[in-house]
Amino acid sequence: MITLSDIPSRSPASRALPIGILAAALLTAPWWLPAVGLYQYLGIEIAIWIIFAMGFNLLFGYAGLHSFGHGAYLGIGAYAFGLFQQHVAISLWGGLAAAIAAAALAGAIVGAFVSHRRGIYYALLTIGFGQIFWFTSMKLHSVTGGEDGLLGIPRPPLGFFGVEADLNQNIALFYLAAAFVLVSVFILWRLANSPFGRVLQAIRQNETRARFAGYDVWRFKWAAFVISAVFAGLAGGLFSMAQQSAYPDVMSLHQSGLIVMMVLVGGGLVSFWGPVLGVLIYFIARDVLGGLTETWLLWYGLMFVVMVMIRPEGLAGMFHLAGRRVRGARANPEYAAEKV
Amino acid sequence: MMAVLPHILNGLTLGLLFALIALGFTLIVGVMEVINLAHGSLFALGAYFALTVLGGDWLGATAAAEWWTSLPLASRYIAALIFGPILAAGAGLLLEMCLRPTYGKAPLYGLLLTFGAALVIEEAIRLVWGTGEQHLMLPRSIDGAVFVGGLIYSKYKFFAAAFSAAAIVAVWLFLERTPYGAIIKAGSHDSEMVRALGYDLSRLRLLVFGFGASLAGLAGVVMVPIWGLRPHVGIDVVIPAFLIIVVGGIGSFWGAVVAAIMVGLAVGLTGAYAGAWATMSMYILLILVVGFRSRGLLGRKSALEN
Repeated sequence: MITLSDIPSRSPASRALPIGILAAALLTAPWWLPAVGLYQYLGIEIAIWIIFAMGFNLLFGYAGLHSFGHGAYLGIGAYAFGLFQQHVAISLWGGLAAAIAAAALAGAIVGAFVSHRRGIYYALLTIGFGQIFWFTSMKLHSVTGGEDGLLGIPRPPLGFFGVEADLNQNIALFYLAAAFVLVSVFILWRLANSPFGRVLQAIRQNETRARFAGYDVWRFKWAAFVISAVFAGLAGGLFSMAQQSAYPDVMSLHQSGLIVMMVLVGGGLVSFWGPVLGVLIYFIARDVLGGLTETWLLWYGLMFVVMVMIRPEGLAGMFHLAGRRVRGARANPEYAAEKV
Repeated sequence: MMAVLPHILNGLTLGLLFALIALGFTLIVGVMEVINLAHGSLFALGAYFALTVLGGDWLGATAAAEWWTSLPLASRYIAALIFGPILAAGAGLLLEMCLRPTYGKAPLYGLLLTFGAALVIEEAIRLVWGTGEQHLMLPRSIDGAVFVGGLIYSKYKFFAAAFSAAAIVAVWLFLERTPYGAIIKAGSHDSEMVRALGYDLSRLRLLVFGFGASLAGLAGVVMVPIWGLRPHVGIDVVIPAFLIIVVGGIGSFWGAVVAAIMVGLAVGLTGAYAGAWATMSMYILLILVVGFRSRGLLGRKSALEN
């Protein structure tokens, strides 16, 4: 059984293959999505949540900081995008910049409060702040539209170095989101495998030791929080374009818990790619189980409970163990038998 | 002064009810070091079980159900007050068994598992009892209004406050004056030592979880006539509960009671003068207290800080 503290730090080996697979899967999605009985809009949703989950995992899986209120930053991004379109200008890049800036600002403030906490206290404080944002978005009728949220947010046309596209087409919006997924994954991959990412992993393994090694732990924890909020804000901006609305629901404790569930089920604790897997499983479960039964969340929740009980490292952890077993069996047959 | 008095009474009642919820929560955190996010769902389960006991439609045979509903409401209510918590305790025991693989690991796993369990229980409630809002019938002796001096006040709120206060005293007596209480308290100080002294730790955990769950269920039966009964009432309740134990200090009995009354008063008074922001006052209290004193008002150093 792998426990949180002795998860091996991730190898910096080249991961060109997974990026290639992800890019190929994303770029061809509009052709194969309908072919397997799904629909274009699902692709947009999955792409958005991959950005959110990957950014969140820098905080959750790499730094080992369990934020339970991260839906708030997605929501703030969504509101900021919508408010920019309604009050400033109809502009894609301006809206996305506003979404990122608003989420980063909120993340910077909250991060300053929570970063000198750890363990359960960290989780509790992030729940508290998440609830405050959720509650404010419900009650600040004049700005956020209360429980109904902002409605009729336009999808501004894309203009990018001579490339023009009408994002009211789901396929066009999907390609925009997919491009952001690839850029985000690339940036996060570089961050995770930089000295910064190493320090975050050191903090996860032993915060006190990292401090005594001379790192300003508070600043690293704060930076990880802000970066994850930035990606949540980007995802939120895209989300409000996809839904053409922004509403408080995504900021609730429920949604914030779901993102933690997705990342954990996929195996974000042991793998960079875990969150992608987790997001895919969640949406496939929602659409496939949801087509069979009204209470699909009951079955997804049960699966999650069983997973935490027997394999908290998630699916990626299972692959990891299986791989180690295969490699071990090749090198030393006895080792494999006893490590099972 | 007379204008403020009902709000202070409302706040105190709410505080005592919150204390009842938070006590079970803080016992479980203290002994098992598990933040039980499903505590609110056990609260909801207790109330829904009470609803079923009151209605009598669980009796199967029509004759038996008719006989049951012909009994006076007061006696059926007392039965609901007894069986709601017992059945919630049963669910709590089941949850404790699921939690066993997470003992000795990072506290995160307990938090995650109970979050999943909360989701499962909420969905199960929707499946069994439907998604709409339900109402617990109250016997006439505790329903309606009462006149105290020049003040008109809900009889049921008086009953709920008195009942919660009595239950809090009973829990305190149980912890302070019985051998079981002594073992539970010892377990929250040093569970290794309790095991070394020959007590069965897994039985202790089962006992504590069952007891905490029955307190949650009891709080559910008593509180739901004031708060309303919806499938997602669990999540509305677990947030104040955890907030209270953080403000009061994790694992501290009196910390939970004091913080609960503070939160109750804050919500009651804000509710009177700025209704929409009542819930917000809880979070502001949380950030004020935790910002200055991370262990809470009466907290002591805990393993959960790591």
